[in-house]
Amino acid sequence: MDMSQYLDLFIDESKDHLQTINERLLELEKSPDDVAIVNEIFRAAHTLKGMSATMGFEDLANLTHQMENVLDGLRNHRFSVTPELLDVIFEAVDHLEAMIVSIAEGGDGKRDVSETVSRLRQIERGETPEGPTGGGAPSSEHAYGEFEYHVLQQAQEQGFSVYEIRVRLRQDCLLKAARVYMVFERLNEAGEIVKSTPSVDLLEEEQFDQEFLVTVVSKVPADELQKQLMSISEVEQVEIAAATVGERTEAAGEKAAPEPLGVAAAEQAAAQAEAEAPEKTPAKQAAKTIRVNIERLDRLMNLFEELVVDRGRLEQISRDLNHAELTETVERMSRISSDLQTIILNMRMVPVETVFNRFPRMVRQLARDLGKKVRLEVIGAETELDRTVIDEIGDPLVHLIRNALDHGIEAPDVRMAHGKPEEGLVQLRAYHSGNHVFIEIEDDGAGISREKVLQKAIKRGIVSPEAAAQLTDQQIYGLIFAPGFSTAEQVSDISGRGVGLDVVKSTIESLGGAVTVDSEPGKGSLFSIQLPLTLSIISVLLVQIAEETYAIPLSSIIETALVKKEEIFSTHNQPVIDFRGKIVPLVRLKEVFDVPRASDDGEAVAAVIVRKGEKLAALAVDSFIGQQEVVLKSLGNYLSSVFAISGATILGDGRVALIIDCNALVK
Amino acid sequence: MARVLVVDDAAFMRMMIKDILTKNGHEVVAEAADGRQAVEKYKETRPDIVTMDITMPEMDGIAALKEIKKIDSNAKVIMCSAMGQQAMVIDAIQAGAKDFVVKPFQADRVIEAINKTIG
Repeated sequence: MDMSQYLDLFIDESKDHLQTINERLLELEKSPDDVAIVNEIFRAAHTLKGMSATMGFEDLANLTHQMENVLDGLRNHRFSVTPELLDVIFEAVDHLEAMIVSIAEGGDGKRDVSETVSRLRQIERGETPEGPTGGGAPSSEHAYGEFEYHVLQQAQEQGFSVYEIRVRLRQDCLLKAARVYMVFERLNEAGEIVKSTPSVDLLEEEQFDQEFLVTVVSKVPADELQKQLMSISEVEQVEIAAATVGERTEAAGEKAAPEPLGVAAAEQAAAQAEAEAPEKTPAKQAAKTIRVNIERLDRLMNLFEELVVDRGRLEQISRDLNHAELTETVERMSRISSDLQTIILNMRMVPVETVFNRFPRMVRQLARDLGKKVRLEVIGAETELDRTVIDEIGDPLVHLIRNALDHGIEAPDVRMAHGKPEEGLVQLRAYHSGNHVFIEIEDDGAGISREKVLQKAIKRGIVSPEAAAQLTDQQIYGLIFAPGFSTAEQVSDISGRGVGLDVVKSTIESLGGAVTVDSEPGKGSLFSIQLPLTLSIISVLLVQIAEETYAIPLSSIIETALVKKEEIFSTHNQPVIDFRGKIVPLVRLKEVFDVPRASDDGEAVAAVIVRKGEKLAALAVDSFIGQQEVVLKSLGNYLSSVFAISGATILGDGRVALIIDCNALVK
Repeated sequence: MARVLVVDDAAFMRMMIKDILTKNGHEVVAEAADGRQAVEKYKETRPDIVTMDITMPEMDGIAALKEIKKIDSNAKVIMCSAMGQQAMVIDAIQAGAKDFVVKPFQADRVIEAINKTIG
């Protein structure tokens, strides 16, 4: 069957389930006795197993299957939650994630997971009591609900035997559901089926590998039953374990004695009832959402922009005609379309949660690797950002958090010695402010050593000793973002993989954002990232060159100035100006863009000082119009590489203004 | 050794099954190309086992199975199904088919089904 059409949905859903597993595992670590959490993880893993088996991703299905066995053991209190056990499960989840990513990228989702699988098996076996018949397979894989339990007990009292039957079909068995049907039919002739794992529904949908487990009450002897089942074609193996239903209260203790049926403590009853009827427990936040391809939203946005152009024209016409009714209608339309614009922009917004939610896992793992104790607090995860920004912001944040853990938070003994609590605190905050979103990472660690930063910066030639003396604390801390800077005494595995903080800075700046750092030695550091709400709307300075209007992104502008004609010098045939003691090249935009009917320079030249990194340039224009928020539109495929133009925008009056790419003009 | 009635509308498939069966010591006592013929031949020859294709003209395999069951409630019928006919296979088993094999046939599967059904 061609499954490719389901692939997108499969990937999306799998990611959701993995996320659930990750989150719940972390919760489980905090409250190891909560069976409800285990159940939730179990369900997610189970669904994942079914989906991946259906899609034919064997490795994925095998691994989830093993994981499920261990989780089932947790659920039945066969073993308890330990950090070591969680490590193995987390490792399995990592593998699963990698496989899903591989599948999403067009790979085959294959991966060598044998080590993890065998460790999961170890856990499963190491603490699993042998089944009463010694039949090899753990017979207590079934968790019985209260109702099933009573049925079993009654049947036993009436002289029926309780069998747990594990049926394995041949690997190349076709039409598995029909085989299952035959098995069930045979069993129903011999007795009554009380429970099956996976459930009958799943078996009917062929959502199982080769094996399934049924509990049957019957008066037929086990060997006779086995013979009957083996007589069905393509049944490879039948293991029958006779089981007795123990007293329910008997196993109420925490360390249950080998419990033949896995019918364990009474405290489990509630959880099992839940497992019995998973449909009855709806997801906690059942937000009504639909998945929409982001391309569609982009198209919607573009179409809307077309509408804005027409709106501009209409407004112009209505002003010219001065017709009362027309004016009224156009004004109304304008109001509605601006509401519409807000909604469309909002649709592209995604909570930062989608990035943040992987950090608790990461911090836990890192803290364990580094032998530190760290608590991560996440505040404002619901803050929304444009999808495009969200996609890019993950890596820089990972880097900063790693830094905070590796260089910021001290080892527990050092912290104790400094009179700080043993456990370090890393706070991840996100909040709105004006047209920006701020993301802050604060730790209560050692802080940044001003002296060390200065020394290193001077040694690496990033600043001169003279210039260093003039710098404020803030500026000195800012030096750690300079290319080629690394404060780590030792290059550890966690941070300092050759990718410096300068990459963080440049990524954030490419998003139109900024990053700053503040620190107090001994108290901790604060990294603050400022991001624009959305990439498609940017703040620009509109400037006039002859009859044409151009837009310069505010993020690149340092300041504007009027330069007198006599202050323009020339070196190597290149006009330059003296800008606060620096020689800055003057770029005449009318020459660069070949603007027709351009006037000559007057007495003074209006200049916009822009920067790219540390380099500056002055852009000469005719006049400044003002600051405005505009919608960035691409020039389309046939105008993809116009020199120094990054896009265009449609102004309120419907005219087009080209947006200048300052990076291309600064050499 | 079993006496078998082979029912399939494709002569090619009948030949294949016949080959598999005779090579393994079974005897094909009759062949039928549709359900109606199958019922007639069953009455005539009273075979030990019938291999029954599901999709056939005139009368399909399941209807033929039911007819044969009316004549002989102990009749042993093995269904021959294609992939994706799961629901029909289950219908057939409910109607009393003993087993099924899935096309394309593998000799050992066919033999396994025959042996398990007569055994």
